Amino acid sequence: MNITETSNGAIAIVAIEGRLDALSAPELRNNRSVIDPEKTVVLNLEKLDFMNSTGLGAIVGALNQKLQPDFGIVLSCMNDDVRSVFEITNVQKLFHIFDDTAAAVEFATTRQGAHT
Amino acid sequence: MNNSNITLTLPAERLFARVARQTASSVADLVIGDDRHEPAGRDFSHAFELAVSEAFTNSVTHARESATPQVVKLTFFFEQRQLVVSVHDANDPFTIETPVPDIESYPENGFGLLIIRKVMDHVTYRREGNYNIISMSKTL
Repeated sequence: MNITETSNGAIAIVAIEGRLDALSAPELRNNRSVIDPEKTVVLNLEKLDFMNSTGLGAIVGALNQKLQPDFGIVLSCMNDDVRSVFEITNVQKLFHIFDDTAAAVEFATTRQGAHT
Repeated sequence: MNNSNITLTLPAERLFARVARQTASSVADLVIGDDRHEPAGRDFSHAFELAVSEAFTNSVTHARESATPQVVKLTFFFEQRQLVVSVHDANDPFTIETPVPDIESYPENGFGLLIIRKVMDHVTYRREGNYNIISMSKTL
């Protein structure tokens, strides 16, 4: 798994590429922006090929780090396989999910602005 | 691969979860054939791959520390349009009827067996001597 990180204003965009499973989940859990309670993160899942429940747990764990559970972690661009894991488990209810990253960043920026 | 058995024995270590998963994906693609590029074929393959990934990860997570290295054995079998995989380990007994995690508590684990039950057509668990055997099947 590769993680690349960029910034858009106060928002961190963390792109995950490859597989998110038991072997790679700790890397996401320990990501600098993920563990910062005040940092709003857009997780770009466009290049995430495979995710199992351990990976899903790491994404929920990322949300649990945040002071703002409503928008601390926002998700974008997941493929059908990854989306199915969110839907099977009902975990999609915990997140705002967008089909493109720009819309996710705009949502996160607006929500963050409303809370500062 | 009608009536053929494929057996894979792997160390009960996280590192080998990908070998289990990739083998499951390859076996599923083999039985799907040309349909693997169609949406239904891809869904079948992903479901099978995901279930094996979950079962193997469960076995590794609950593997006991012992003087002899623990292993997980996977057996694949295809018959009458049914792809079956059995996952065999020497861990403590468990039940596959685990409760569904409460989403409102933002759970970070407990989804593995739920996913297996949802994506596979038939799931059984049995205890044979000191071994757990979870058997999962999906029909093409």
